[in-house]
Amino acid sequence: MSENEAAPEAPVTGQGRMDVAWGANTGDEHPEEVQNASTPQSGEIFEQLYTPWTGQLNPRWMRNWSILRHHLLGIFKKGHRPWTMPTRIFILIAFLASLSDAGMTLLSGVVGSSEFHSLFGVSRDNLYGHVLGFFPRNVLYYPLVAALLVGGVISEDRQHGTSALYFSRPISRFDYVGMKFLSVALIQALVILITYVLYFLAEVVAFGRGWAWMVDIFPMFLAGMIAGMLLIITYTSIGLSLSSVSTGRFFPGIGLLAIVFGTKTLASIVKNLFEREILYLISPYDCVAHVGQALIGTQTTYDQYSWTYSLVALVAMNAVALYVLASRVASMEVTRE
Amino acid sequence: MMPDMTQQGQPSQAPSPTTPNVPVVLFNGVSKSYGRIHALSNITLALSGGVTGILGMNGAGKSTLFKLLMGKLRPSAGEVKLFGTNPWKNPAPYARVGFVPEHEKMHDWMTALEFVSTFARLHGMTRSEAEKEAIRVLDFVGLRDVANKEIGRFSKGMRQRTKIAHALVNDPDLIILDEPLQGCDPLARTTIMNVIRELGKLGRTVLVSSHILNEIERITEQIVILHQGKLVALGNLHAIRERLDQIPHTIRIVGEDARALARDLLSHPAVFGVSFPNDRELLIQTYHFGQLHADLPRLIVENNHRVNMIDNPDDDLESLLNYLAGGSS
Amino acid sequence: MKQNREIPSLWSGMDRKALAIGEFTLRQQRKRLSTWVVFIVGIAAMGVMTMFYIDAMTRDYEAIDNDGDSYDWDGDGYPNGQEALYGTDTLDANSHPGILDPSILPDDPSVWIDEDDFDWDSLAEGSVGKDDNGDCDVESRTASQKDANNNGIPCDIELTSERWNPNALVIRSDGNVDEDPDDEAYALEAIHRSFVLATGKLGVVFLIGIFVPLFMATGLIRNEMTSGTMHFMLAKPIARSEVFLYRLLGFYALAWVYLTVLIALLAVITGFTGPSEGFFRFSDLGVWMAVWLASLLAVMVYGMLFCTLGVMWKHGMVLALPFAAWELGMVLTTLGAPEASILRFSVIGWAMNIVDAGAALAWSDTPLLIQMGLWGGGNGPLEGSEGLNFFWSTPGLGLGALGTIIVSVLVLVFQTAACWLLGSALFKSKEIE
Repeated sequence: MSENEAAPEAPVTGQGRMDVAWGANTGDEHPEEVQNASTPQSGEIFEQLYTPWTGQLNPRWMRNWSILRHHLLGIFKKGHRPWTMPTRIFILIAFLASLSDAGMTLLSGVVGSSEFHSLFGVSRDNLYGHVLGFFPRNVLYYPLVAALLVGGVISEDRQHGTSALYFSRPISRFDYVGMKFLSVALIQALVILITYVLYFLAEVVAFGRGWAWMVDIFPMFLAGMIAGMLLIITYTSIGLSLSSVSTGRFFPGIGLLAIVFGTKTLASIVKNLFEREILYLISPYDCVAHVGQALIGTQTTYDQYSWTYSLVALVAMNAVALYVLASRVASMEVTRE
Repeated sequence: MMPDMTQQGQPSQAPSPTTPNVPVVLFNGVSKSYGRIHALSNITLALSGGVTGILGMNGAGKSTLFKLLMGKLRPSAGEVKLFGTNPWKNPAPYARVGFVPEHEKMHDWMTALEFVSTFARLHGMTRSEAEKEAIRVLDFVGLRDVANKEIGRFSKGMRQRTKIAHALVNDPDLIILDEPLQGCDPLARTTIMNVIRELGKLGRTVLVSSHILNEIERITEQIVILHQGKLVALGNLHAIRERLDQIPHTIRIVGEDARALARDLLSHPAVFGVSFPNDRELLIQTYHFGQLHADLPRLIVENNHRVNMIDNPDDDLESLLNYLAGGSS
Repeated sequence: MKQNREIPSLWSGMDRKALAIGEFTLRQQRKRLSTWVVFIVGIAAMGVMTMFYIDAMTRDYEAIDNDGDSYDWDGDGYPNGQEALYGTDTLDANSHPGILDPSILPDDPSVWIDEDDFDWDSLAEGSVGKDDNGDCDVESRTASQKDANNNGIPCDIELTSERWNPNALVIRSDGNVDEDPDDEAYALEAIHRSFVLATGKLGVVFLIGIFVPLFMATGLIRNEMTSGTMHFMLAKPIARSEVFLYRLLGFYALAWVYLTVLIALLAVITGFTGPSEGFFRFSDLGVWMAVWLASLLAVMVYGMLFCTLGVMWKHGMVLALPFAAWELGMVLTTLGAPEASILRFSVIGWAMNIVDAGAALAWSDTPLLIQMGLWGGGNGPLEGSEGLNFFWSTPGLGLGALGTIIVSVLVLVFQTAACWLLGSALFKSKEIE
């Protein structure tokens, strides 16, 4: 049937109009009712030819950068990865609370009291304390930030089926999970390491510290930085491995906290009861703390074994977590679960 | 299919007595809005008996209507009554209701029998009663053979039928099915439609929602059309269709000599106006759309006009619904 | 069909619904992998602690000569203690009991290790103690040396309560009384008791008591709401507050069985391993009963609370976590200051009261044991005494043990009921998409 002929056998009646509005030819109805006036009567089967795509693919780093950017910017504005509101609020709170020592240092610079400065100013113990101090930083701030971040970062992709959006693009699974890891780690770095740098700068500004002082302090500062990175990497790899094995948002978050606090509590009970510190080797926080103490050179609170044990335990924990993460992501089915 | 056909159409013995004056479902000036979005505006509707199809596009407010009825949402204005009781406050009328939600998610870890009998027990049945009833309804929807299989292994059609079975287990007087045919293959569709028709024959009040007319048409003739939260049509499918024929309608014809064609067409009694957007185009206004459309080819051929295209610019969903909803946009 | 079916009365109807939802919840949790992970991790954690405990119980404790009288300073073959007993000079090799008439053979030095154990049997104020080896009441000592604490009784220990703290005791002993206690016996008993208290209080009641509900109860209602499966349940003639309650009952059934099994395992292992006269320490069972009761009630309150938080907000976990941190702080407070009034505003404070009161009933001599160990024969704390002192606390309500248990149980039940009312009110007013 050519275009300039109307089909007289298909009068457009109320029936027809409703068909157009609501109808769907599913194959089991009366076919003549739903025929459209302009439907051609002939059919054709097309030969399928697949031609390879010859376009220019952007470099790998650029594709990865867009994933990373998507996650990082989500903390600050809409239109990117929707981190939940409580997560964003909590990150802000933790960021501000982590700056408390920087604030106190500035204050002591203004007041000019040396006692005040010895309490809060940059020193070996305070640099350690900023990154690895147990209370409140490693009870209330850092593990909670990590738990909130890893909560849904992979599991929600699986639950909502959005991982299909990633895997249908030229992105390898390794890149996908690597960027997830990096983005979670970078957001934690914002809370832990950026505040650490700000703390250091606050001291420089408040007391007019010169180059000599900075060069003097620098090794210590660097050690604190490395300890902070260890902390971030450990929390992130444990958290992401939990996130990759579950589908909900609850489980990875609570799981991470249960691991961090549970092992810590268990180890300290055993220490108090039996004077045995060996159980600290299963506690991620204590291992990082032990290694950090050795790196920065503060008084170590774990006397019964060498810090290299803690380092080995730390490497083992991360290896197990990353193995679980890698194998889970590699075998992940791209469906909505 | 139901074992005790003797019960056909008998009123139930459920606690609250039905008086003829109390409609099964009553919406009185009901509105529901989420912030500035109006999901339903000023719906007034009373239904009792028979199968009723609720027709509307995605987002027209069908599910909202059902959720209000099932006491899951609180109306922003107006009152909802289910067997004369406010369902938001009191869950008692659900003893006489079976609800099939649109959600695809089910308890995949249960077997169909466990699923149906567990929810049957929420009607106050004992374990053995519940099991007996569950087998009865699973048989009714044709799932008896797979009753002991996990729902997670079911196909979509089987899942839908399981949901229907769970809703039927208390032998309800009102059955609400939210998009029961969505995503089912033709075979499952036919089975489910048969089940619904069967229920209608048993004298139950059935509400079925869909966005596809043909589905509804094969089940029932009584329909309710919702559009953008408004009630746009209610009643017999054929009557509504007749009424739709009376709506002023535009036909667009593109031909070589539009004016000559217009001259011939104006003589037709159904045409009440013509206009020319440009030289080759002709717009015809008519009240008797069907009649005109039947005569149009003959008129064109008899007068040797050369026509390139005949088109019904109004003949899409939006314009139809906008006309029905008051022609506001 | 309808005619045959009996119309349930109010009670039988509720009972059937409760059973149906409870059973449903139980089965749902059972089919979930995370439930088993949580349970197994809990058992593994307790298992690790128990291994340390078993190691501590089977280890050999070096017998310490607390008063140093097994040495032989002058090298005459007679230990100092023996010389002191017979009044010879410990620094003179020519002065020893061998020159006395009748001549006395030298003791093996080990006789003078752990030779004067504690002989206290009550913590009543007044005079306790008995000089087992007789080195207090020897002729060479003056009367004022024999009665150094000036209470008129020679060779005893006087206990007086501290002026500002009636629970703490001041120990004043006449010299050489109970001065060389049996370290191993003390350490085993003290470590055993502190292990039972530590696992009971921190391990079972706190860690498991809070993490199991955190994992399993937070999503009881919320998960069903987000996934849409709640529609099935709410389309039935059942009030939402009932759904809320019955879901939790199902959770309780599972968590309570788990806790019961865990506590029974711990009780059996420690009962057989711990130091005892018979084959099994029946006296511990009272403490384990208290731990059992406290953990059941803690899980009850936490479950209800976390479920309520889950209903309250989509991100209920964010509310639950700070609360868990608060409870951790409260646990530490109960160990240090069990009478602090801030504990009234926690759940765990009341649960700990129950364990403390149960322990006070079953092991009423523990304060004595702690004091003895800390005193250690006048030579500093014995092994295990500080740990026991750390984990032991007297119930802080000042009502006596039974009264404390009754009041705490009532408070915890009340807290549960309050959470239920709040949770079901919130749930009732929730619109469910």
